[in-house]
Amino acid sequence: MAANSDTAKISVHTSPVRKLKKRLTGAKEITNVAQELCLDMLSDLEKARRPVLEATKCSLDNSFYNPKVGYLTPGDKVVRSELNVSSVQKMARSVFFLEILLRNIQTGAINTKRELYYIAKGECKHNPFFKPLDFQDQPESDSVLDYITEMLEVYREDLNCFADDRGGQTYSQHLIVKETMANGEVATIDLSTLGTSPYQPKNRPQNLLLKAKKKIEFCLIVESQGTANTLVSNGFTKRYNCIVIGAQGVPSNAVRSWSKLIQEQLKVPMFFFGDLDAYTMQNIYRTLKAGSAASLIRNADYSAPDVKFLGVLPEDIKKYDLNDYPVKEKDAGEMRALKKAKDVLNNDPFFKDKKNKGLAQILNWLLKEKRRCEQQALFSVDPRDPQMPEKIIVDKIRKGRYV
Amino acid sequence: MASNITSSSTAEYFSKNLQQVGFSSGTKAVLTTLKEAVDNSLDACEDADILPNIDIEIQKIGAGAGKNMDLIRVKVTDNGPGLTPEDAVRVFGEYLASSKFGRGRCSRGQQGIGISAATTWAQVTNAKGANIVTKTKKMREAVSANISVDIKKNVGVLKNKQTLKWDRPHGVSCEFTFDGRLQLNGDAGIHTYLQGTSLVNPHLQLTYKINDDAPIVIERVSDENIHIPVAVAPHPHTMKLGEFLAHASLFGKVSLSKFLKTGFSRISDQTLNDLTKLGVKKAWYNMSATSVPQPDMKKVYMALQEAKLLAPSTRSVLTVGEDALAKSIGRLGDVDFFSVLSRKPTICDAKPVCVEVAIARLENFKGDQDNPVQVLRFANRVPLQFDKGSCAIVKALESVNWKTYGLNQPKRSIPTGPYVIAVSMVSPFIKFKNASKETIDASDELVAELRYALIQAGQRLSKFVKKEMREADLEKKRAHIEQFGPILIEGIGRITKAPKSRLDKARIGLTKILGRDEIAAEEALQVATDKQQAMVDKIDAIAAPTTKIKTTKKTKKKSESSSVKA
Repeated sequence: MAANSDTAKISVHTSPVRKLKKRLTGAKEITNVAQELCLDMLSDLEKARRPVLEATKCSLDNSFYNPKVGYLTPGDKVVRSELNVSSVQKMARSVFFLEILLRNIQTGAINTKRELYYIAKGECKHNPFFKPLDFQDQPESDSVLDYITEMLEVYREDLNCFADDRGGQTYSQHLIVKETMANGEVATIDLSTLGTSPYQPKNRPQNLLLKAKKKIEFCLIVESQGTANTLVSNGFTKRYNCIVIGAQGVPSNAVRSWSKLIQEQLKVPMFFFGDLDAYTMQNIYRTLKAGSAASLIRNADYSAPDVKFLGVLPEDIKKYDLNDYPVKEKDAGEMRALKKAKDVLNNDPFFKDKKNKGLAQILNWLLKEKRRCEQQALFSVDPRDPQMPEKIIVDKIRKGRYV
Repeated sequence: MASNITSSSTAEYFSKNLQQVGFSSGTKAVLTTLKEAVDNSLDACEDADILPNIDIEIQKIGAGAGKNMDLIRVKVTDNGPGLTPEDAVRVFGEYLASSKFGRGRCSRGQQGIGISAATTWAQVTNAKGANIVTKTKKMREAVSANISVDIKKNVGVLKNKQTLKWDRPHGVSCEFTFDGRLQLNGDAGIHTYLQGTSLVNPHLQLTYKINDDAPIVIERVSDENIHIPVAVAPHPHTMKLGEFLAHASLFGKVSLSKFLKTGFSRISDQTLNDLTKLGVKKAWYNMSATSVPQPDMKKVYMALQEAKLLAPSTRSVLTVGEDALAKSIGRLGDVDFFSVLSRKPTICDAKPVCVEVAIARLENFKGDQDNPVQVLRFANRVPLQFDKGSCAIVKALESVNWKTYGLNQPKRSIPTGPYVIAVSMVSPFIKFKNASKETIDASDELVAELRYALIQAGQRLSKFVKKEMREADLEKKRAHIEQFGPILIEGIGRITKAPKSRLDKARIGLTKILGRDEIAAEEALQVATDKQQAMVDKIDAIAAPTTKIKTTKKTKKKSESSSVKA
């Protein structure tokens, strides 16, 4: 949450509170709402009343899991910042940064967070009036940017701020992507023409249009981009009408919205294949399927609730005689993930919901057995058959062995 | 076959192990010599109820005989009762010749090793002992002589004895010339020693001259001499079996019951009855203490250890006192504000102990704010300047959360900033980690007692620091209003494209809103100021009759209570 604890408090002031329930799209709508917000502030100030800025509280204690929609949604908790001598700096910075963002969306310019940090610094450098606002480091400007997105309930990408999203490398022989450019031109990408190179969605995948040349049987999202590449190089996408995506660890905004897009537009069965460990289950898979507490206002577009957990499942270890190993007590990262697993079973609405009972059982198994098994263990089943992992994956999909 | 085992005199042992008593380097040699001479002078003056005037001269006079050594002259002159030539030769020339050994008093010197070791060091590095001048009230003229240690026999040797007219009715002057290195500043520096000594001895008038610099006089800030409480008999729980038996032999042919009742504190007839229930036979009480067989004496000793006895008396503990510390604190430099605290004497590890703390913030501090505070440690009013890390005082200091009291502190470390934290521990039985008395052993009980003292002093200090924080908060708020208010209004104006008239109105509104916050901050500052004043008034009211507690803002009176003249 961007709000500072010293300025974030529940206000008793009667200043009008904006309920931005309708999702804002397009530069005009965002500009209008931002202007409205500033007009409200101005009006309050004219009456010597303290303006209040309000943002959705994005944290686990304000997260709810709605099994009907399948992702984490925000509760009614909000963070309100009332203008006082302590918060005047933050408010001045928010208005200053908002102005830069509005200028960007009006001109169509895009930037990364790092670039925005330097743009803000440049403004302060060239105009001594802004000098008191100068940011000392990027986390300072990031927190103002996050606060603005939560206040307006827009995505960072809606404000033309794009991260260098990693992951999402996509392979398919039957997928065609159509992208309408800012100048109106349409780019059509046939993934089958890219050779061994993948297609990687960037910026705002939700604005793309997808088409299948042939009926696509399933979409497989693999935790390791390297393993996804191996499967494709060995001919997986040639033998099966499918889409293979490399997630490259915790899914970025681009991977999350790209998966959602495939789910919505192509309506194909979606599967995730990754390591059997607590980190993958709670940090990677849960974020892909239901979003995260930090992105409560974006989860509707940044999660793919239909994605099933294909494995590695605990029973696969026995069935395929996979190499697993105990969690090392000396490994701080692994122990932290196990400790967190205990916590999420009690507090995370996603794992607490009966719809996800099967996933909670896997977490319980991991906690009890304190063992883990990597996705690459499939290569140990028949070391001389490069297609064996592919065969196991397809076999599991066809026989319904997933959660 | 003839045995090749030989005996050595005490002097021979120490002459070969001078590093054990503080002569392990050139720097330490200068400091230890100075310290031993000053300790003797102060102890002598206090015993004779004389307000001490001590003159110190330290000079580098040339190259030393040893590699990388200078030839240093240290001269200490006092106005104490003086020594007869016969006593002087024992004090300066004989090891373990002491009037204080094992007496259980809070004197600085205890064993009679230090000054003889200084003579030995001068002897082994410069082939000359100590030059002394001494005069007692009864002596018509002063006597000057050179005293050295006969290493083989552990006796003093007096040479070049002469009589002379002296400018004072009584006193001792001792001069040592030896190999050493002069370090003036830093933890182990001469200045730190002089600063510390003057802090815990408010009744001392000190004049010192280093090299060719002009002499500096630190005048006394208290005309009350310090009276060292009389020693009390040892407590049985502080003795080991061997000491117990040796103690009995000193008493000779007195009955066991008399030995126990007069040789120890906290033993009464009731205690003797209790001991019989723990295996001591009544018949033994009438036997002479030396004729009770050793196995039975061991049973008596063990019963005593098991018996429930009153804790040792704390009457034998000396305190400098908060009032005296408050007067003396100005000697540390220009002090902004300070807090002093004297804990009530208590028992730690079965020994009486009193802890006192003085914390001062220095004005016009030019050092690095991120450096650790200056820590002054004292044991029986003697500065400890080496091996800081393992000392009980430093361990207690690091265990306190100083951030609570407004000081900066890296995790579990000494706090940082322009402060001096002085901690004095007084006890007739201080357990040092080494013979050179540089580090106090850190037992859990002692560290806890030191910690309580530091916490209390920190709490008192925080009243001033918190007020300052409020002041800074008000300043920050005022600056925020001036800096960010206009930027906020201008920004809103650019986004909304509102007319100037609306922005002007908003500017007035903003000033009103933030002005309210400023008033609130001013009120908070006033509350903090009132609280601080109320505490000072309360403490002064309590302290008035007994002058027990003092916490105050240093005002112009500082210059009246202490002065440092160049």
